[in-house]
Amino acid sequence: MIGSIVLVFALACSVVSMVMYYLNFRGYKNTLNYGRISYHAMAMLVIVASTILWYVLLTHQYEYKYVFSYSNNSLTTGFLLSSFWGGQEGSFMLWLLITSIIGIFLQSYASKRDDLEPRIMAVFTLTTTFLLLMVSPWFKNPFEFIWATPIFIDLKSINPDHLGLPFLQSFFFTDQGGGNSFIQANAELKNLLVSSGISMNQFIVDGRGLNPQLLNFWMQIHPPILFTGFGMSTVPFAFALAALMKNEYRDWVKQAFPWLLAGMGVLGLGIMLGGYWAYEMLGWGGYWAWDPVENSSLIPWIVGLAGIHTLLVQRKTQNKGGIGKFAKTNLILCIFTYLLVLYSTFLTRSGVLGDASVHSFVDPGMTVYLFLILFIGTFILLGLGAIVYRWKSLTDETAIEENLLSRELALFTAAVVLIASAIIVLVGTSAPLFGQSVDTFFYNEMNIPIAIIIGFLNGLSLLIKWKHTNKQDVFRKSIPSVVTAFVFTLSIVLFGGVDDIMMILLAFSMAFSLVVNAEIAVKIIKGNKKMLGAYVAHIGIALFILGVIGSAAYSKQVDVDLIKNETTTAFGFEMTFTGWIPIDNNTKYSFNIDIKKGNSEYKVEPVMYISEFNNSLMRIPAILTLPTQDFYISPIGYDEGTASANKNVKTISLKKGGTTEFNGAQISFKSFNLGVETMAAMQEGRDFQMGALLKLEKNDKELEFELLRKSVGGKIEFTSFVSQENDINIDLVNLSADKIEIALSKLNDNSDDHSSHIKQEILTVSASVKPFISLVWIGIAVMVFGFFISVTRRLRESLKQQR
Amino acid sequence: MKNKYIFGGFIIVVFLGIMGYLFTQSNIQYQDDFSKVMTTTKTVKATGSWVKEKNYQIDKVKKTFTFFMADDKGNEMKVVYNGTIPNNFESAISVVVTGKYVEGYFHARHILTKCPSKYENQQIQTSTM
Repeated sequence: MIGSIVLVFALACSVVSMVMYYLNFRGYKNTLNYGRISYHAMAMLVIVASTILWYVLLTHQYEYKYVFSYSNNSLTTGFLLSSFWGGQEGSFMLWLLITSIIGIFLQSYASKRDDLEPRIMAVFTLTTTFLLLMVSPWFKNPFEFIWATPIFIDLKSINPDHLGLPFLQSFFFTDQGGGNSFIQANAELKNLLVSSGISMNQFIVDGRGLNPQLLNFWMQIHPPILFTGFGMSTVPFAFALAALMKNEYRDWVKQAFPWLLAGMGVLGLGIMLGGYWAYEMLGWGGYWAWDPVENSSLIPWIVGLAGIHTLLVQRKTQNKGGIGKFAKTNLILCIFTYLLVLYSTFLTRSGVLGDASVHSFVDPGMTVYLFLILFIGTFILLGLGAIVYRWKSLTDETAIEENLLSRELALFTAAVVLIASAIIVLVGTSAPLFGQSVDTFFYNEMNIPIAIIIGFLNGLSLLIKWKHTNKQDVFRKSIPSVVTAFVFTLSIVLFGGVDDIMMILLAFSMAFSLVVNAEIAVKIIKGNKKMLGAYVAHIGIALFILGVIGSAAYSKQVDVDLIKNETTTAFGFEMTFTGWIPIDNNTKYSFNIDIKKGNSEYKVEPVMYISEFNNSLMRIPAILTLPTQDFYISPIGYDEGTASANKNVKTISLKKGGTTEFNGAQISFKSFNLGVETMAAMQEGRDFQMGALLKLEKNDKELEFELLRKSVGGKIEFTSFVSQENDINIDLVNLSADKIEIALSKLNDNSDDHSSHIKQEILTVSASVKPFISLVWIGIAVMVFGFFISVTRRLRESLKQQR
Repeated sequence: MKNKYIFGGFIIVVFLGIMGYLFTQSNIQYQDDFSKVMTTTKTVKATGSWVKEKNYQIDKVKKTFTFFMADDKGNEMKVVYNGTIPNNFESAISVVVTGKYVEGYFHARHILTKCPSKYENQQIQTSTM
């Protein structure tokens, strides 16, 4: 309750701040301080509300629906803190929290730069207003009480002391198939409880817990970093609109530049951490699946990168006076970076990707859907409307002579190529909105040529100067790098087995870019270190793409059965499964595999367990990281050995009416036993059982019995029949539409050798090698480092008065 | 100046042309009518639900996972997937398989299972006692 009130106050402050800042921009001098005070009040209130949310999570106050839905008593403190963003409401809250904090820095930054503050903060507070509306009690409020909408609560979450309450009877519900009972919590129940002196917090004592896939270290830090990137991409948008408000397009470029750089650095890091999480947790062996949710955060990032390149040109050309080149392009790119963040939010939160993505949120309801449309629509209208409104004054550019071999043109081409890449991803990602979808090869085929162009362009652009360069000069200077790159490419073709022409070209272009950048970086290290940023970032990109070539195009994968204590070899790795041990209080199973490669020995432990949260088998891969490659082992299944290893077992399938003979007895399959109830349960997907009626005849004695196939909580179980008298054991192995399969064996079977009775424990794993995957992570880390070197340089420049 | 625009326009046309071509090549449509799935030769994303009473089979030798799927109208088809049973398969409320229907069964190369509890609250089907 208090949380909601705080958020409503914060919303009021945000609106007041926006109005005050806007009035100040329109000339009311005394409103500036009100704007500042209310902004800070808003930010403080958001921090307070977030603290309250963390507090109720840590103290397990299950009267809040959010706490009940995304946490439980067994979570460690770290995961309780990260369950803050386990659901929709909380992730909006996190976005708001981070954006508000960024705003504090932005306000201080803007106040030191001329008359920037009122304009930029008026725009910025509009974005916080929308986010605050999102988490307000009318939409996705994390402080909603559990009884606000009726919800079914598992009996095990309820305090057993209170289960005897007489009025509870009318709130009991039973799932007929599974026999699980629930209590429906609603306002009526809450009132009855309160009148008995029991609070909801005393009544509900445990929550549903966090999705097991999120119980991972990288999921604790990936969302905050991603949202920091999202939050920071608001700033260039605000700068662009502030420039359009004043109709002055010169100073915003250098002022927005460090923000755009920092934002894209953080967003890039956030995207990579998401990829690393997928690699480490999901077990399919990759880090990028072109899933719409992943793509939707990639698109604004690529557009932001394009913006960085053209902003650089505008800044450079401003030296000659005027607003510089590409003024319109830059405004549009900065606006689009934020619009695409909003579009990404819309795709992942509105439920439109329901069928297309593994990890989109489910349909949040019509009001939220419409609100998201309103949110994104407002900012599209505002951003593009302002551009159209100012179009005339923007076209007034100082014409500058162009040369084909100028760095300006190279940077512009880079931006164009990046935008092309963003369009490709955008088209593919948006296809599900129209009932279409694209195969992942669409993204690969389209982006590989683009990456090749980027590599060459990047290398080449550094060899040519601003404005004009002599052709022979470029040619002469590029020879050493081209030769080095060629030797490198040749060696990976000869020794690395790279044979695809596109991959060879890509490797060559990236090697070229790498060599040129490294060459310049080495020169710079000896001189002015603060200029290093761009080169380091490009080295990072080149390393990253080389890593992608190795790990994606030349990854090999095979499924193997590991028989306990027997050695199986795959890709030169000798694997021996030595058994499993229960971990985490017997809730999970860790499978020990000894691995030998050459003279080195390693141990890896993939994990499997049944998650109570979603009743399904979770498989956590084990990764053996070696200098040149990863050996990736993803568990598929475990078979502890069945009786079928016994030679004296006769397995046979019988059709209805069929008969078989075993141990002197006639066994016939009479009919299926499917009740009306079974049919109903089956259709509704509840737990059910199907029976097969059989008859056993021996020495004129008849015995009728039934074997059952039960489906309990999604798992299938079969029953057996034992007849001591006839010395027969009958196991039902399978039951399908028209026949059954049974395994027949004698009870006292001592006649055969015992070796066949030894259980063969088999662990099935998917093993794969990922050459040079570490370059993917190293590349991104280097790139992000490069971004931040640039940020420090551009921050200093943003204060400098030009001329 | 004029040359610049002609050149730029040419590049854009080529780019859009290639993208359009690849889009149609890689385009996979969602199809919830299995009678259409069975007649088309194109790769589709068939959406439906698992026919529980027909169970599923895991062939450990051939490494295939076989099950039956039904659409809303009750059309059933056999689905064979070269791989292992996906996480959450048994508790899935709907299944999306990507592949083609050839020679009497659907060759799936990707299975997506949609679970009610994946990211949001579990929608429990209940009836009063």
